[in-house]
Amino acid sequence: MSHNVVAMILAGGKGTRLGLLTKKMAKPAVSFAAKYRIIDFPLSNCANSGINTIGVLTQYEPTILDSYIGNGEKWGFNGVHALLTSCAPRQTDEGANWYKGTADAITQNIDFLDGLQPDYVLILSGDHIYKTTYNEMIDLHVETGADATISVIEVDPKEASRFGIMAVDKTDRITEFQEKPKKPKSNLASMGVYVFTWKVLRKYLMADKALDTNHDFGGDIIPAMLKDGLKLQAYRFKGYWRDVGTLDSLHEANMDVALNRSDLDLYGGYSTRIFTEDTYSLPHYLGREGSIKSSIANQGAIILGNVNSSVISNEVLIEEDAIVDRCVVMEGSTIKRGAKIRNAIVAPYTTIEAGVEVNMNNDEIILVGGKVVR
Amino acid sequence: MAKVYGFCNLHDAPRLGKLTEKRPIGTVSFLGRYGLMDFTLSNFSNSGIDRVGILVDRSLHSVVSHVRDGSIWVNNTKTGGQRLFYNENNPSSKFNTDVNNLLANRLHFEDIDADYVVIAPSFFIMSIDYRKYIEKHIDSGNKISLIYKKVKNAKEQFLNCDVVKMDNHLVKNFSINMGTAKEAAISLETFIFDYKTFVELVNKTREISTLFNIRDLVNYCATNGVYNVNAFSFDGYVAPVLTFDDFVKCSMDLLSYENRKELFKEDWPIYTTTHNTPPAQYGENANVSNSFVSNGSRVKGTVINSILSRDVIVEEGAEVRDCILFSGTKVGKGSKLQYVVADKNVKIKEVRNVKGDEDHFLYISFGANI
Repeated sequence: MSHNVVAMILAGGKGTRLGLLTKKMAKPAVSFAAKYRIIDFPLSNCANSGINTIGVLTQYEPTILDSYIGNGEKWGFNGVHALLTSCAPRQTDEGANWYKGTADAITQNIDFLDGLQPDYVLILSGDHIYKTTYNEMIDLHVETGADATISVIEVDPKEASRFGIMAVDKTDRITEFQEKPKKPKSNLASMGVYVFTWKVLRKYLMADKALDTNHDFGGDIIPAMLKDGLKLQAYRFKGYWRDVGTLDSLHEANMDVALNRSDLDLYGGYSTRIFTEDTYSLPHYLGREGSIKSSIANQGAIILGNVNSSVISNEVLIEEDAIVDRCVVMEGSTIKRGAKIRNAIVAPYTTIEAGVEVNMNNDEIILVGGKVVR
Repeated sequence: MAKVYGFCNLHDAPRLGKLTEKRPIGTVSFLGRYGLMDFTLSNFSNSGIDRVGILVDRSLHSVVSHVRDGSIWVNNTKTGGQRLFYNENNPSSKFNTDVNNLLANRLHFEDIDADYVVIAPSFFIMSIDYRKYIEKHIDSGNKISLIYKKVKNAKEQFLNCDVVKMDNHLVKNFSINMGTAKEAAISLETFIFDYKTFVELVNKTREISTLFNIRDLVNYCATNGVYNVNAFSFDGYVAPVLTFDDFVKCSMDLLSYENRKELFKEDWPIYTTTHNTPPAQYGENANVSNSFVSNGSRVKGTVINSILSRDVIVEEGAEVRDCILFSGTKVGKGSKLQYVVADKNVKIKEVRNVKGDEDHFLYISFGANI
């Protein structure tokens, strides 16, 4: 990495659509693909991009996320010039404030960034699943002399009105930003991944601070920059990228891994490995009478029943004659003898009691937690 | 609280044939993800012994790449830590004893801030809380203690181990188990010393014999009444990995939950090196039963009664029965394996039958292409 880049990861949202998964925990700390937490993806992407200075902006229920981030050792950020730290809202001589928007979260940490003196700031979201390196995007930003570069992904034109859409010219310079437009001018959706030249961004953050806005990157900062005629470049991202903010999208993305049907290849590519926490448990054990097909399983699991098209996390116990179909079973959960469950996300440390049937005749994805009895 | 220093002793250890040709016994892969020495190091850590010396007899690189900086199992990386003791002078000679290793590293060995030392090998796999035995050692007032296990299968297992003869909980002497009796008190080659006594004895050893290992020293002390040696009994699960066949048996025994729960306890984690591998993946026609499968593995075929380490690939139509496959093994389409131990990165191409014997598994060397 030849450029001086600091990454700031937005990880403060409440994630209300994930129900009890985020009741006591920030969304980026939610389990994914049997072994990971969502934030492992942007953090590993940074490590693989040679970006070793990172602030994680936390706000909602940060305790578990903070302790998970630790000293950054899980992703290698405990080296000599590396820094991974969480930046929570704080009391200052201006008073005490929550983060009022994505941009405000950065504004309130201007002192942190000033201390680091980056040339460029990379803004990431803590709840996206994708494997990439950011180098090509940063290179494009530097080569085109842009003030801001926004990562975009091509979406189905019919779906475009659900996204923040970037209209571009022939050189992919952004001409207009449309938030959830009725008549989209392109099918390039913003991924919420931005590279800013720090001096420029700093100026706009300070200006926005004084205004009565939502203090949001997409809604306020980007439109203000466009209005002033700044150079905003689109970077076309190719590959697998998912926002896993809903139960359906979280389930779907987990299935993509279990069924090995996407190009989110967790098994290939030494240079884009996803790093995570390791648990001290035995490899998973598969019993004499059980079966497992079209699934992934993490160490520490014991599978004595039948598993199909599912994600089995660490320390999960699936007892004899249980059936688990199209489920995401998170850490420490038990599916007892003869229980049947389908199309579900099973929250950590849930118990499905013996013989109970859950969602067997329903195609809608449900979330179960606690103790599920007949 | 007494200050205790641990020594994980890789000297004076049995060889497991080709498995230990290029690595010491301590780093031999076990149950898919451990090295044998992880059990000893975890026992130290879980017993609150945070400073450990690893007495390395050979293949230093293999030990270093396994234990790394020790932060995997050390509680506090400032007040705790590990030091590798290695005798550079004569690594391949008969003088390469643990005692000579300590003497070659005398500056460090004599500078340890400890009241007691615990010395344990890596080839008896067990979960043991040393604190209990240290307390008994202190209470006894004796300077040396030995931990043994009463076994009932000394005719088949624990061969060539030391059989402890004792009198009123003190060691009289010990001699090699030739399999003459079913029941025997087998030395677990785990010793507790008062640190000062240990230093004094090690320094005197050459006057007695230049070939002595620590266990010979203990036997000498007990036999000649130099010091009283306590004999403490351990009654937990012990898997003795003394031969290649033992290695296979001890591994396969742990497929049974009854055995596994005796060794792996919830409050006694076994720490090991992490490799950042994704969860194991199973294809739509995978058929897996009574097996351990480690992360990073991808199974599309059949796996029965087997132990797969990380990053093992079993392709469609391949069959793996009663096998132990080390990391990176690839079993190609339609191949059949039975009674095989495959060392790291073995590649078995399409449609091959490779079969060992139920009583003596076939070993396939590191990196072999078949």
